[in-house]
Amino acid sequence: MTTPKPDIPQGTLDMLILKVVAAGPIHGYAVAQKILAISRDVLQVQQGSLYPALHRLEKRKLLQAEWKATDTGREAKFYRLTAKGRKELEAEALNWEHLRKAIELIMRSAEGEV
Amino acid sequence: MNWWRRLFNRDRSERQLNAELQFHLEEQVRDYVQAGMSESEARRKARLAFGAVDGIREDCREAQSLFLMESTLQDLRYSVRGMRKSWVFTSVVVVSLALGIGANTAIFTLIDAVMWRMLPVRDPDTLLVAGYTQGSPPEYGFTYKQYRAMRDNTEIAELAGYSPVQLSVTVDGNLEPTLEGQLVSGNYFSLLGVNPVVGRPIGIEDDRVPKGHPVAMLSYGYWKRRFALEPSVIGRSILVSGSPFTVIGVTPPEFFGVEVGASPAVFVPMMMQPTVMAVVENLLENPIIMRTWVQTLARLKPGVSVQQALGPLETIYKSQIPPRPKIPNLAPVPERRLVLTSAATGLSDLRRRFSQPLFVLMWIVSIVLLIACANIANLLLARAASRRSELAMRVALGAGHRRLIRQLLAEAVLLALTGGCLGIALAQWATRFLVVYMSSGRTPIVLDLSPDLRILVFTAAVSILTGILFGLAPALRATRLDLAQALKNRTGSGRTTGSHLRPGKTLAIVQVSLSLLLLITAGLFVRSLQNIKDQDKTSERDHVLIVRVEPRGSDQRSLPGTSQRLGRLYTDLLQRVEQIPGVRSASLGNVSPTKPETGAGGRFLTSSGKDVAMQTQVAYPGYFDVLSMPILTGRAFTWDDFRETSPAGCVINETFARDVYEGENPIGKPCGGSLRSPGAKGPAVSQIIGVAKDSKYTNHRGLYTQAVLYAPFPFANTSRGQMILYARIAGDPGPIIPLLREEVWKADKDVPQFSSVPTLLE
Repeated sequence: MTTPKPDIPQGTLDMLILKVVAAGPIHGYAVAQKILAISRDVLQVQQGSLYPALHRLEKRKLLQAEWKATDTGREAKFYRLTAKGRKELEAEALNWEHLRKAIELIMRSAEGEV
Repeated sequence: MNWWRRLFNRDRSERQLNAELQFHLEEQVRDYVQAGMSESEARRKARLAFGAVDGIREDCREAQSLFLMESTLQDLRYSVRGMRKSWVFTSVVVVSLALGIGANTAIFTLIDAVMWRMLPVRDPDTLLVAGYTQGSPPEYGFTYKQYRAMRDNTEIAELAGYSPVQLSVTVDGNLEPTLEGQLVSGNYFSLLGVNPVVGRPIGIEDDRVPKGHPVAMLSYGYWKRRFALEPSVIGRSILVSGSPFTVIGVTPPEFFGVEVGASPAVFVPMMMQPTVMAVVENLLENPIIMRTWVQTLARLKPGVSVQQALGPLETIYKSQIPPRPKIPNLAPVPERRLVLTSAATGLSDLRRRFSQPLFVLMWIVSIVLLIACANIANLLLARAASRRSELAMRVALGAGHRRLIRQLLAEAVLLALTGGCLGIALAQWATRFLVVYMSSGRTPIVLDLSPDLRILVFTAAVSILTGILFGLAPALRATRLDLAQALKNRTGSGRTTGSHLRPGKTLAIVQVSLSLLLLITAGLFVRSLQNIKDQDKTSERDHVLIVRVEPRGSDQRSLPGTSQRLGRLYTDLLQRVEQIPGVRSASLGNVSPTKPETGAGGRFLTSSGKDVAMQTQVAYPGYFDVLSMPILTGRAFTWDDFRETSPAGCVINETFARDVYEGENPIGKPCGGSLRSPGAKGPAVSQIIGVAKDSKYTNHRGLYTQAVLYAPFPFANTSRGQMILYARIAGDPGPIIPLLREEVWKADKDVPQFSSVPTLLE
C-alpha cells in the first residue's frame, strides 16, 4: 500500500469501467474495489473521477443505471452495460491493444535503432 | 430527451446523487471496520479518502450535462438575490445601461423604419418604381400623358400610378383640418395586393372617366380617428374639395401607401384629379410638361427581367417628351433615360434626407454605450474588491474557477438584460420624440415604430454583448485571487485597502471627461441636424403661418379684369389679416418658400448676350420682412409699387445679381420680360429697386439656390394668380388659425376649398 500508485492513463478510465461493468450489474463502490483488486492494488480510482465518469457514461447511454438492493439489503445504484456500451468497449479494447503494442515496440527497441 | 422535466426534478436527481455517494462512503467504512479499524477511525479515514464531496457532486452534475442549464438558473437566482441586496448599485447600473441601450435601440428603430422595413404590400420584392434620370440621381414622377402612354402600350409590365395630394374634406358640414391624400389609378390596390378591411377597394371601373367617379377610400387611421371604426361609414357621403364623394372602403391598418413616412388618409381615383384640385389645371386633359405628378409603380410580367422591360418602356417614354425648344448658346442637356428601381422598402424622401445623419447618430450612440460599458466595468471592479472574501469562500468550498467566472458573467448579463428591457421602453419614447423632430410642419411623418422581431433581437443581442463586455474583465480579475490572502482579509478589516481604488479613480475621471466630451459632440451634432433643417428655410419658421389662397378665377388671371379683381381682393385680405390680434405682419407670395415649383421658370438675356436661368416669383409688400430675407441693397416693395400707374419695379436676389450683373450695381437696371404693363401687352419699362438675400430651396437633389426675380402682383407676367398668405405671428398660433381661416374664407366665399394652415415649423 505504501508503494506509489501509478496514475490511470488519461482516457482509459472509461474503458476500465466499461470492462468491469461488462461482467454484470455492479455499483460504483464495487467498480472501484474491483479495479483495485484485479490490478493487484495498483490502480486506485479516486471517487472524484469515478462518479463523474459513471455519470458521463450513463449520459452517453453506454451504461444503464438502476436502483436495487445489495446482498446486505441496502439500496444502491447498479450500473449495467448497454448494447451500445458493449460496442464501445470492443472498439476501445481494440484501440488499446494497438496502442499497447506500438508503445511496447518503441520501449523495447535498442538505443541504436531509434 | 427529458432534460426539461429533469431540470425541474432537480431535487430527485440530487437526492439520488447524494444517496449514491453516501452509499460509497458507508461501504468504505464497512470495509475498514472489517479490516479491524474502530468505527470512528474508519469513518474519518473514509471521509479523507473520499475528498471534497461538493466538488464530486458538481462534476457529476456537469457529467450529466444538465449542468449548464441548471447552473445557469442557479447563477441567475443567485444574481437576482445579489442584485436585490445591493439595489442602489444595481439601479445605477441598470439606469445607465437603459440609457445606453435605449439610445441604440431608438436609433436602430428609426434606421429600421426608414431604411429596411419592407412595404406592407404583396410581394414587395417584385414591386418596381419608375423614374427618369438625366445623368443625375433619378427623379420620380411623370406627366399623366407619359404615364398613360407607358401603361397602355406595354405587354411586359403592369403599371399603376398615384399622386400625393392635400385634400380639404368636409364631414357633416364641418371642414376637417387638411388631410394628406392620394390620387390613385384604378389598378393601384390590385397591383399592390392590398385588400380593404371593410368595403371594397378603388378598382379599374372607378377610374375610367374624368370627374366621373366620386368614390373615396379612407385609411384605417383616419377611419379610427374620425369615424370610431364604425362600419356604417361605407356608403356615407363626404365632401372632398367641396364635391360629394361616397366612401367605399377602408385600407388595412398597416398600409401607408408606398412612401415611408407618409400617411395618406383619403384615396380617390386619379380620374377625379380635376375635381379635387379644382383650382389647379386639369392635369388629365391638359397635361403640362412641367407637372410630373404621377408617381409610377410597376410589376413585370412573369419571366421578364428589368433590363428587358426598360428598353420598350423607354422608347414609349421618349416618344412622349416634346422636343426641346432650340435656344442658342445652350449647353446640350444629357439625354433622359428611364430607370426602374426596386420599391421593396418604399420610396422615401426621409431616406434621402436622414440616412446619413441616422448612421452618424448610430455611431455616436454606440460610443456612448461603449463608454457606459467601461464605466460599469469599472464599478464592477470596485465592487469585486469588496466581494473578494465572498468569492474566496466559494472557491474554498469547491466552486470551480470557470464556474465563478460564469456566475459573475451571468450577473453582468442579467444586469444588461434588465437595462435592455428598460431601454426598449425608453427607446419607444425616444423614437417618438425623434420623429416629431424630423417632421417638418407641413406633413406629419408617420412611421411604423412598433418594436418588431428585428428590433427585439437587436436589443437582446446588444444587451448580452454589453453584459459580456463589461462583465468579463471584472470576472477574470476577481477570480484571480489569492485564497489565503483574501480569507485573511475577511477576518481583518473585511475591506480592501485604498490603494486598490486609485487606478479605478483615475479611470473614472477619464471616463467622466470622455462622456462629457461625447455629450458635447452629441449636442453639437443635434445642432447641426437642426441646421440641416434650418438651411431650407429662410426665416424663423416657427412663427410664420401659411395659407394657400386660391380664389375662383385665380388660375386664369390673364382674363380681362381678373387681375384687377384679384389685386383688390388680395390688398383687402392683407389689410384685414394684419388687423388680427397676434399677427405682426403679413404678406402674399406665389411660391412656397421651400418648394418653388409653382414659380414661372425662365431665362434672362442680358444686353451683353448672357443667358441666365432664373425664376420669376410674385411678392407683396412685407414679403421679405415676413420671411426674414434681408434687403442687401436698395429697398423692398411698398404699396406705391402696386399702383398700376406707378413705374414698374422689381427686386432680385443675390444669385441673380451675381449671375447677371457680376459685381456691377444692379439697382436701376431693367427687369426684362418678367414684368408687363397692366392692361397692356408687352413688357413694361421697369427697373430693379433692390437686392434681397438668397433663399434656399429643396428638391430631390438637396439644397440649392437659384436666380430669382420678385415682381409686384399687378406687373407680374404670369397667368397664375394663386397666392400663398404668410402671417408672422407672436405667441401661440392656436387661437389665431381660426381667425386667419375666417378672413381667407371671407375673401372669397365661392371657393369651397383652401389648403392647410401649417406653421412653418412646429
